[in-house]
Order: sequence, then C-alpha cells, then structure tokens
Amino acid sequence: METTFKVYRFDPENGSKPDFATYQVDLPDSATVMDGLRQIRDEQDPSLAFRASCERGSCGDCALRINKKGRLGCTLKIAKTVKNGVVTVEPIRNIPVLKDLVYDLESFLWKKIKSVQPWITPRGPEPDGEYVVAEEQLAEVRKAMSCIMCGLCDEGCAVIKIDKDFVGPAALTKAYRAVFDPRDGQHDERLTLVSEPGGVWDCTHCFEANGHCPLGLEPTDRLFEVRDEAIRQGIRSGTQNPKVQRHYDSFLNSVKRSGWLDEGRLAIESEGLTNVAGLAKLLPTVIRAIPKGKAPMPYFHPKRPGAQAIRRIIDKAQRSEV
Amino acid sequence: MKYAFYPGCVSRGACPELYPASVKVTEKLGIEIEEVTDVGCTGAGVLSRDLSDPINARTLAKVESMGLSSLMTICSTCQGVFTQANHRFKNEPEYRQKINDEYLAEEGLEYKGTVEVKHLLWVLMEDYGVENLKPYIKRKLTGLKVAPFYGCYIRRPTSIIAPKGLSGRKTYLEELLDVLGAESVDSSGKSKCCGFPILTVNEENSMRMVSDHTGDAKTKGADCMVTPCPLCHLNLDANQPTAEKRAGTQIGLPIIHLPQLLGLAFGFDEKEMELQRHIVSTESVSRQLEVSIRS
Repeated sequence: METTFKVYRFDPENGSKPDFATYQVDLPDSATVMDGLRQIRDEQDPSLAFRASCERGSCGDCALRINKKGRLGCTLKIAKTVKNGVVTVEPIRNIPVLKDLVYDLESFLWKKIKSVQPWITPRGPEPDGEYVVAEEQLAEVRKAMSCIMCGLCDEGCAVIKIDKDFVGPAALTKAYRAVFDPRDGQHDERLTLVSEPGGVWDCTHCFEANGHCPLGLEPTDRLFEVRDEAIRQGIRSGTQNPKVQRHYDSFLNSVKRSGWLDEGRLAIESEGLTNVAGLAKLLPTVIRAIPKGKAPMPYFHPKRPGAQAIRRIIDKAQRSEV
Repeated sequence: MKYAFYPGCVSRGACPELYPASVKVTEKLGIEIEEVTDVGCTGAGVLSRDLSDPINARTLAKVESMGLSSLMTICSTCQGVFTQANHRFKNEPEYRQKINDEYLAEEGLEYKGTVEVKHLLWVLMEDYGVENLKPYIKRKLTGLKVAPFYGCYIRRPTSIIAPKGLSGRKTYLEELLDVLGAESVDSSGKSKCCGFPILTVNEENSMRMVSDHTGDAKTKGADCMVTPCPLCHLNLDANQPTAEKRAGTQIGLPIIHLPQLLGLAFGFDEKEMELQRHIVSTESVSRQLEVSIRS
C-alpha cells in the first residue's frame, strides 16, 4: 500500500522552524505507522528521530499524535488511520519537543508521576517473608497496574492543555494504584498529597482521558475512586486547598437541608464566610445577575418535598463511610 | 409516550429561564411530561457516589412508582450522573439490591432497574423523531450561525453515553440545527468541558476554558452558541464577562439554552423564551432572526 507520510520535523540545533516533511512509503496492508517511520528512517532520511521500543503496545514509548489523535505508533495499522492516502505524524501535544518526534518525557510525564510518589510504602515491621496479598484484594488495582505510562491520557486532557502544572490523569491513575493497594501504609498522606492544588480536585472529570487510554483503563474512573476515597476519609483539602473542603461541605449541607442545591449559599460558603477578599470577588457576578433574576437568594431556599428522606439517606451513607 | 420530568436544580435557580422554556416547548410538541418533585439533587458529580447513588436510585424508584419508564432531563450534568449511576444499577444487580435494602426499603421503595433516563435532546432525536419537528417550525433560523456546545456529560464516557448503536448522539445538535434551518459552526470546544466543575477550585483555568471556547466560536463566525446544559450555560454566559476580562479580550457571544432555540423556531418570541435574563445580550440573535424573516 502506497501512503504519503507527513511527518513533523524539528531540530533545535540547526535553528530552523518546525515544519512537516513529506515522504512516500510502500508497505504491506498489515504495516503499522511505526513500520512507516522506520522505513523512512532506514531508506530515505536517517536523521529522523523517534522513540520506539517494544513494538507491541507494552512500553508506551511510541505515543504520537497520528492524524490528529493520540495513538501508539506500533499498534496502529496504517490502513486503519490513513485518510485520503495520507498519514500525519506529530509529537503529542502540550509538550516540549527535543527533536522531531522525540519529546521531553521528564517535564511532561515523569515529573508528575514522581510527584504522587507512586511506590508502595508499607507501615509497621517487615514480615519474615514476602508481603502476602490475596488476589481479590488486588483485583481492583490490577487494571491500573497495567498502565504503560504512555501519557496519551494526559495528551487528551482538557486541563493540561491550558495548565501544564495540573498533575493529570496518568499520575492520578498511578496514585489510585497505590491508594488502593492493601500493602500501602501511606494511605491518608497520599490522599492529602493528591488533594493539594493542581491535584485531583483540579480535574473537571470530563471523561476525556477514558477515550484516550489505548488500554481502556478508564483513568477518569480511577480518579473518581481516588476522589471518593478522599471524601470517605474526610480529606478534601490537602494542606493548601481549603476551598475544596468548603465547597464540598456546603454542597452536601445544602442537599441535606433542602434536598437540592442552594447555589447562592454554595458560592458564598465556598469562598469562606470570613474571606472578605473572596466574597468581594463574587460581587461583580452577583451585581450582573440580580437584575436578571439569576441570583437566587442564599439560605432562603425552599425544601423539596423529599428533603427529609434525602437527609436520612445522606446521614446513613455517611455513617457507613466511617 | 409520557415522561417523568426531572428539571434539576439550576433550571429553578440561577438559570430560571430554562424551566419555562422547556415546559413550553414540550407542551407545543405534545410531549406529555409529569414532574417528579419528591426527589433530590443528583449530586452533580460533586457529591461522592457513596452518597449520590442512593439518592439517584430513590429518584428512579419514584419514577417507577409513577408507572413510568422514562425520565426526561434538561441538563447534561444531571443526565450524565443519572446515566452513569443507572448503568451501575442495571449492570450490577447485587449493588442495586444493596441500595434498595439499605436505603429505599425504609420508605417502601425499590428500584427495579427499568427506567431509561433521556435528555430532552435525546427524546427529540430518538423518540419523537426529528422529522416530526418540521410541522412546528414557524420561524426558520435561516442565516443564524450557531455553534453547538454539548458539554462533557452528554458526550462521555462514550462507552455508556454513546455506546454502539447510539453513536449518533455525538451529532444530534448539528442534526437538529440543520432541521431548524440554522447553520452549525464547528468550534474546537464543542464537546469539551466548559470549566464549570472547577470554577471554585481553579477559577483561572475555568475562565480560560470559557474564553477559549466562546472566543473560538466567535472567531469562526458564530452568532451564538447553543447548549443542552445549564451548567455550561452558567459558565459560558454568566461568567463570560469575567473570562473576557481575564483574557483581555471582548467576545460577547450569546449563549442560548437548547429549549430556547427550539422555542424561537416554533414561533415563541424572545420574551416568552426569557432571553432577556441572559447576561450576555442576545439582541444580535434577535436582529439576525428579524433579518431572516424579512428576507
């Protein structure tokens, strides 16, 4: 199959601007995008730089943006992605490029993954032999354990796109793996760590990450598990993130009181009743909303008919969390 | 078919224009709805699922006790939370049983797992039929350039929201706009997050999302944006002035609720659709529609 490859080229050493180069490749229908890149390098341009290792979707080294989607080059067949005879290959987005298709994994991925301390830290005396864990205790985390750290979930992340400091779904999936490992002794410390600014609470839970994971590990669901576990343990703020706790508590108390959300109360209490600067910041929005009838009066919030039953459910659910 | 109607919190709070617009439009189309009042907030993806799942199971049980099997929402966030919870209830009978036993039995309720939850957009496209809307269109939206903005929860997670056989859900807004006579403007943010969920925790990022999405739609020539989600509406409309200020730019893109746009096409006027309540002026949309009618 003859295919045109449009490949991102950039070499900071020669001072030229990034550009696309076009190559013609001829490969069997079963060939992958990686086969195409290899043929280009071996037969047409030995200066083309890209990462590749396992060639079977197990190492995550060849995460690339192929025809505008984050994919693994070694498992994606050309025939599956080719559009009008063309395959466009770029580095993944939002990341410093070192050369051509080789990007800076340290700043993009490793730094963030290391920040959640993705190793198990047992507490108490070491056992005589191995740490023994029953299979069923690890059943849940098995899925996250198979993460290959390709970074494609981060590549698709809507928050990382605008905020490079957000820890991202890849690192939070690693955090999940440790949080739910029964051998770990740093459970609460770990939840506190990921609850700091830039951590789990900065996620919009938009579920983009699920669609980008090549292994179907559903990183957004893993992140929800971490968040729900933090709530169960009463850890919502880290040490520097008090708004998270206030927002959650206000939302919860509102639903507990009236059965539904008191939006005005939520806005005020999330800022903090004594946080004058924070409350002042709300003023322009409130002033714009009042004449339009879009600023519901806080605290004067009518109860829904089912409010009592809902309160009972919440009380019971909270008791079973403890 | 009759639907139980779940209006959600925001259509009775900070977006009070959404509730009457939804009721008027469904009435006009002859879609029978009965509001389920004795129920709580879905948790909006904020409350832990330990708490929100029992509350949502109770709502679905109430729908069953009304003798109905469909619940209509008018909010993508309510829709998403319900769809995900209902997926667990339907696919994990033991979990459903546990919630029934621990939380619902006391009230004499039991959720049997028979309810389908459908956003108004899905009701129109899947049950009512887009062709059947045509006789109600009194004012074609010809010439109006509209950027669809779905929001997250009515699009993802794909495996649950738009599984095989329902993948058309990804383009319902565009199909609907086509029938209404409007032109769809494809903006980069149409299926992205509006930023509302992190408005409190990271306002800077949230506002950046608003200015990026509205700014891109405006640059691409949109006269307005339409959304099926009142939370997206809140961020994109009510917070647009703040986002403009942060980005140091003027955008001024009117954001229209889906039922409002339908209502305008069905011949309701701007006042009946309560467009005057919006923070970003919708006058440019009205002017555009007047031009369309005259021509």
